[in-house]
Amino acid sequence: MTFDPVTLATPFFILLVIAEILAAKFAKTRTNYEARDTATSLAMGLGSTVAGVLIGGLVAGVTLWVYQHRVFTIPMTAVWAWLAIFFLEDLTYYGFHRLSHERRFWWAAHVNHHSSQHYNLSTALRQTWTGGINGTWLLWMPLAFLGFPPTMIAIEKGVSLVYQFWIHTEAIKRLPAPIEAVFNTPSHHRVHHARNPRYLDRNYAGILIIWDRMFGSFEPERDEEPPRYGIVKNLGDFNIVRVAFHEWIGIGRDLTQARSLRDVLGYVFGPPGWRPDGEGTTSEDLRRAWRERVGKGSQSST
Amino acid sequence: MDLNFLIKTAASALAIALLVALAAWARIARLTPSLDEAAVRDILAFEFPGVQAASIWISEDGHGAIVRVSDEAFIVYRIGDSYVARSAPWALLAKAEPKNGAIDLRLADADAPRARFKLGEGAVWPPAFEAAA
Repeated sequence: MTFDPVTLATPFFILLVIAEILAAKFAKTRTNYEARDTATSLAMGLGSTVAGVLIGGLVAGVTLWVYQHRVFTIPMTAVWAWLAIFFLEDLTYYGFHRLSHERRFWWAAHVNHHSSQHYNLSTALRQTWTGGINGTWLLWMPLAFLGFPPTMIAIEKGVSLVYQFWIHTEAIKRLPAPIEAVFNTPSHHRVHHARNPRYLDRNYAGILIIWDRMFGSFEPERDEEPPRYGIVKNLGDFNIVRVAFHEWIGIGRDLTQARSLRDVLGYVFGPPGWRPDGEGTTSEDLRRAWRERVGKGSQSST
Repeated sequence: MDLNFLIKTAASALAIALLVALAAWARIARLTPSLDEAAVRDILAFEFPGVQAASIWISEDGHGAIVRVSDEAFIVYRIGDSYVARSAPWALLAKAEPKNGAIDLRLADADAPRARFKLGEGAVWPPAFEAAA
C-alpha cells in the first residue's frame, strides 16, 4: 500500500504530544503528564505496532479473499464510494467499539487503552497488543464482501484512527455546538474514558457521534461531574505486561472457578464484571447502584 | 521482519524515550499532597460508596491509607500521581509482618498484586481502629 494515513500522521502525533506537554508547562493548560504513565502508554503503542505487523498478513489475506467473492465492484475513484465507506466504516467502528466494551472476550484486548488514569495525547497511543487475535478485524469483512477494495478499507480505518488521536485531550473544553452535535470531540471522548458510573460504557463513536445518539449510548460531559479516568478497578502499577494481559489473566483465573457451561460462557462472553451469583460489578450494576444512591432526581436528567 | 521495520521500530523507541524525558522534565503531573482524612474519605466515597469509616489509618509518608469495616479492609495507595483502591480480608493485613519500616501486602489480585505502606518509627502493626458507628 502506498498511502497509509497512520504512518503519515505519526510525526504529527509526536509533535502534538510535545506541544501538549509544553502547553501544560508554559501556558498552564488543563493537562497532566506523569512520566511513568506516559512511558507505559507510548510503549503500549509501540508494542501494538509490532503486534499489528505480526497479524497484518493474515488480516490482509482474509480481506483479499473476501473481496474476491464480493457482491459488487466499487470503484476507488468515485466520490460516492468514499462517502459511503466513510459512513459504513464509522458505523462498523461503532459496532466494534461497543462490542469491545460490553463483552469481556473483546474487552480483554481493549481494556489496556482505558487503563491510564490520565487523559492526554499519549493515552491515545496506549493501544492493544491482542486485538488481532480476538478477531474483531472480521467485523470489517462485510465491507470487502460488499465490494470496497481492501486498500480503500485500510485507508478509511487509518483515517478513523488518525482522527481519534487528537480527541484524547483535556486542553480543549468544548467545540461549537454544531460540531459537538455531529462529531466525536474531546468532550465526548472524555466521557468515554471516564469511570464515573454515569459515564461508563458511553460514547463509542469513532468519528461521528451520531451513532451514539441513534443507538442510545450517548452521554454528554457535565461540568458538575468531571470525568475520573481509568477503569473500574485501576491497575496497581505501570508494568506493561500487566497492562497488556491482565484481563486475559483474569478470564483464566475465573475459568478455574467455573462450575458449569453457563459460568464458562458468562466469564468469557458476559459483560466485564459478570459473576455467576449476580454479585458482580458490570457497568449496568454500577450504574444501577449509583442511580439508587443519587435518587430519581438525577435519573430524570440522564 | 525487514531492516526497514527494525529501523522504524528503533526510531520509535528513541522518540518514546525523548517524549518520556520531556514529560518528566516538564513536571506537570497532578499535585498529590500527602493523604489526609478528607482526601481518603473522598476517594473511598467514589471507590466504595456506602463504606462508613469510623477511623482511618494513614501511612507515614501519606501515600497510603487503610480503613477497617468488620472483617474487611479497604485500602488506598498511590501509584504515580494517582490512587488505586482495593478491598481485602482484614486477616490478610493483620498477619502481615513489618519489614524495613514498611508493610508489603501481597494481594490476591492480578491487577494490583502488591501494596506498600510506610510505617512510622515505633508504629504498631496492625493499626487499631475505632468501631464503626
